[in-house]
Amino acid sequence: MATTQRPSVDETGDSALTATILRPLGRPSWRWMATLAAAAVGLAWFAQAWVFQLRYGLIVTNLADWGYVGGIPWGFYVGSFIWWVGIAHGGIIVSAAVRLFGMDTFAPVARIAELLTLAGLANAGLYIVIHLGRPDRVVSSILPNLPQTIQTSPLAWDVVVITLYFVLTATYLTLTLRHDLHRLAGRLPRAFTPLYRLLLAGHRPGEQAKAERMAWWLALGLIVLAPFFLHGGVIPWLFALLPGQPGWFGPVQGPQFLAAALASALGAVTLLAYVLRRVYRWEELIDDRVFRGLSRWVGLFALLFLWLQLQKVVTGSAMAPLSIETAVDAVVATPLYWVALAMLAVTVAHVGVQMLAPQRFSVGRTVAVAVLPLVAILIEKTLFVVEGLMYPVFDLYEGVPGSYTPSWVELSSLVGALSIMVLFFLVAVKVVPLIELKEAES
Amino acid sequence: MTSEHRDDPPNLVGSDAWAREVLADSEHDTGLGLAVARDAQRVVAGEMTEEEFRRRHHGAYLEAFGVDARPSLDDGLAPPDPERSRAEASPADRGPRDIAEPPRPQDTDAGDDGGPGEPATVPRRAVLGAVGGAAIGALFFGEMFRRNASAGEPPAQGDAASARGDGTARAAGGGVAPPGKQLPVQFGMVIDLERCDGCLDCVQACSDENGLSEGVLWPYVLSYQEPQDVDPRFLVRMCQHCTKAPCVMVCPTGARHRRLADGLVLTDYDVCIGCRYCQVACPYGANVFQWSHPAVYGGSFQGDGRDSRGVKVAGDPPMGVMGKCTFCPIRQEDPERRGTASCVDACAMGALHIGDLNDPESAPNRYLAQRREEAGGNLPTFRLLEGLGTEPNIIYIGQPPSAQAELIDGPFDYEDWDLTEDRRAVLEGPEPWFRRLAREG
Ligand code: SF4
Ligand code: SF4
Repeated sequence: MATTQRPSVDETGDSALTATILRPLGRPSWRWMATLAAAAVGLAWFAQAWVFQLRYGLIVTNLADWGYVGGIPWGFYVGSFIWWVGIAHGGIIVSAAVRLFGMDTFAPVARIAELLTLAGLANAGLYIVIHLGRPDRVVSSILPNLPQTIQTSPLAWDVVVITLYFVLTATYLTLTLRHDLHRLAGRLPRAFTPLYRLLLAGHRPGEQAKAERMAWWLALGLIVLAPFFLHGGVIPWLFALLPGQPGWFGPVQGPQFLAAALASALGAVTLLAYVLRRVYRWEELIDDRVFRGLSRWVGLFALLFLWLQLQKVVTGSAMAPLSIETAVDAVVATPLYWVALAMLAVTVAHVGVQMLAPQRFSVGRTVAVAVLPLVAILIEKTLFVVEGLMYPVFDLYEGVPGSYTPSWVELSSLVGALSIMVLFFLVAVKVVPLIELKEAES
Repeated sequence: MTSEHRDDPPNLVGSDAWAREVLADSEHDTGLGLAVARDAQRVVAGEMTEEEFRRRHHGAYLEAFGVDARPSLDDGLAPPDPERSRAEASPADRGPRDIAEPPRPQDTDAGDDGGPGEPATVPRRAVLGAVGGAAIGALFFGEMFRRNASAGEPPAQGDAASARGDGTARAAGGGVAPPGKQLPVQFGMVIDLERCDGCLDCVQACSDENGLSEGVLWPYVLSYQEPQDVDPRFLVRMCQHCTKAPCVMVCPTGARHRRLADGLVLTDYDVCIGCRYCQVACPYGANVFQWSHPAVYGGSFQGDGRDSRGVKVAGDPPMGVMGKCTFCPIRQEDPERRGTASCVDACAMGALHIGDLNDPESAPNRYLAQRREEAGGNLPTFRLLEGLGTEPNIIYIGQPPSAQAELIDGPFDYEDWDLTEDRRAVLEGPEPWFRRLAREG
C-alpha cells in the first residue's frame, strides 16, 4: 500500500512501519482497559438475560404463535442472525477480493475484515443457539441427523455453511498470519508464545510462496461460493423456499441479501479501520484513500440494495397476486422501513456529493455515513422477518397481522453480541498484527 | 394462575432438578449405555466387528431389559427384503378393511417379528434408552448409534430406513416416511363444516386429553362471515397431516417426521430443539410452541406419550419443544381405539371423522360417500390451501373461506369452556430482577 512517505529501513531489516504495525502489541493502555471493562459489563448483562431466558424459556421474549393469536415465532434473534452472517460473509468477500483482484488500496484492512468475519460468524452461531427453545440439544439433535436433514432443511444448510465458512476463514487467516508471525519472531509478546508456536506448527522458511498460492485458491473458492452458499443463497433461501409467506418469496431475495451483506460488512470494516487508525495513530498505514475507496463501495452496494427494494415494491404493489400485494403493501406502510431506506439513501447521496466535490472530503463524515447502512440493514432485516410472518397466505386468523416488539431480553442480545465483537478485537489487537506485514515491506 | 406461581418453576435449567428430570425422562441404564458407546467407538475404529459388538452386548441387554429384540441375533442379520416390502406397500394389494381391525403396520411386521400383535415396546424403548444415555458421553459417534438402534427395527419397517438412511435412535429410527411419499395407509379426516355449529367441544376435549397448557389450542375453530351471509360459518383448523409437509422438510433435526405406519405428522419431543422452523413453514399456523414450563402454565399431561416405536410424540410437549395436533397417535396404534380421536369422539354434531383415507371402507370415506349420495353427487368439498402443494389430509365438506371472509365472534366463547383463546395474554414471563427492584424500591 502506498503511503506518502516511505520510512527508511533500519539495520535489522525492519522498517519503521513494522514498528508501527506492532504498536498495539505492547502493554495495554488505560483506554484499552476501560474498553475491556465496558465490554465485559455488556457481556455480563447479556449473560444474565440469557440465563433468565434459559430458566423460564422463550416466554421472556415477545415472540408468540402465529396460528391463532397473531404472534410472531421468529423475530429480532433471526433478524440479528441474518445481520451478523451478512457482516461476516461480506467481510470475507472483501478480504478475498483484495487478494484476487489486486485491490491493493484495501490491503491494509484485509486482515481486519478477516477477523471481523470470524467474530461475525461466531455471533451468528450464537444467535442460532439463543434462538432455540432447547439449546441443550443443539449438538445431539442436529449432528446425528444431518445426513437426512441436509437433503431438505435450509436451516441444516445454514448450520453447515456457517461451520464451513468459519473453517475456511480461520484457515485463510492462519495462512496469511504464519508468515508475519515467523518474520516477527522475538518481537511478539512472550505471554502468547504457546499460541504462536501452535500457529507456526510445521512452518518452513520457504513456505511463503506456497501459502500465498493456497490463500489465493481459498479466496477464489470463497468468492465463487458466495452467491450460492453465502448471503446470495442459503441465507435468503431460509425464507424464500417456504410456501406460506409471500413477503419472503421472490428471486430478488438472493441478490438483495448479498447487497445488504456487502454494504453492512463494508460499513463495519470502515468503522473498525477508523477506530484502530485513531487509537494507534495508523494514519500512514490506513490513509485517507482507504476510506474514500471503502465509502464508494458502501455507496455502490447501498444503491444496489435500494434498487432491488424498488423492484420488490414496484412489482409487488402493482398487479401482483393478492397475497404478495398484501405483504408488499404492509412493508410499504411501515414507517421504520422508510427510515431504513432513507439511511441508505443518505449514504448513496453522500458518495455522489463526494465524487462531485472531492476536495471536501472528511474522514469523520465518511465513516459516519458508512455506518448508516449497518444500522439500516439490521432494521430492515428484522422487519423482513417480522413482516413476512405477519402477512401469511392464510390470513383469516384473529390478530393477523399481529404485533411484535422485541423484549428487553431480546434487545440485550445485541448488547452481548456487540460486546463479543469488541472483546474479540481487544484481544486480537494485543496478540496478532492487525495489518499484514507485507504491506509495510512492500 | 398467580404470578408467584410463575416465578417459581418446578425445574430449572442447570439445576439438579432439571438434570434429574432429563435423566428420568430417558429411563436409560447409563452404565450399559456407556459400555455400548465405548464399543461402538471400537467398531467405528475398526477394532471390533459389528457381529462381535452385538454378541458382546446381548447378555447385558437381556439382563437389563429382559429381552433383546434386535433381529440380528435371531435372523442372522438378514436384511429386509426390498421386493417384499414393496409388494406389501402397494395399495393395490390391499382389500377393503374395516377400521376396527388391528393396526396395519403389525400385519406387515408380524412375519418378521416372530409374533403377531404386540409391538416390541419394551425392548425398543430400552435399547433407545441405553443408546440415549451413551450419546450423552459420545455424541460424536451418533452415526454408529443410529445404525445400532435401527437394527432393532422390525425389518418390515426397513422401507423407512432405506428411504431415510439408517434412521436415528429416535425420530428417524425406522417407522419414518419421507415427506411426499404416498403411503399404503394415510390417516386423515373428513370434516363436515356444514354440520359444525362452532360449539368448541372438540377444542375442549383435545385440551383435556392432551393436558394442554393454558391457551394452547390444537384444533381451533374460526368463526367467520362471508359478505353475502347473515349466519356465521366455521372452519375447524388443526394440523392437516400433510403428505408433502413443509414442516417435515424444513426441520433441521428430523424431530418433525411422518410416521410410516399411518402417515401421521408427529414431533419427537426428545429430539426437537425448538427452532420453530416448522411453525414458520406451516402455511396453516397449526403449530403451538411450548414457551415455558408447561406445569407452571397449566399443562397437565400425565401419560408417557410414547408410541409403539418408543418415540415420544403425544401430549403437551415439554418446555422449548414444538407441539401441534397429533391425531391422537397412541390411539391409532391401539386396535380398540384405532380410528378415534378425542375431538372426533367429542363432536356431538358428528362433523369429524378420522381414519385411513386410502381405505374406501374407513369412517371418513364412508361418511363422505354417504354425504355425496345425500347431496345427489353434488357435494362441495375442499382441502385447505390446496394450491400450495402441501397435500393436506383433511377433506372439508363445505366452502372454503373467500378472500373477503371476515373473522367474527362465534356463538360460543372459549372462556365459557375454561379455555383461553388469547394465549398472548397468558404468555407473560416472570418479572426480571431489575423491574422488581425498581418497583420495590
Ligand atoms: S398442517 Fe402444518 S404442521 Fe400439520 S403437517 Fe401440514 S405443514 Fe405440518
Ligand atoms: S421446532 Fe422442533 S420440530 Fe420444529 S423444525 Fe425445529 S426442531 Fe423440528
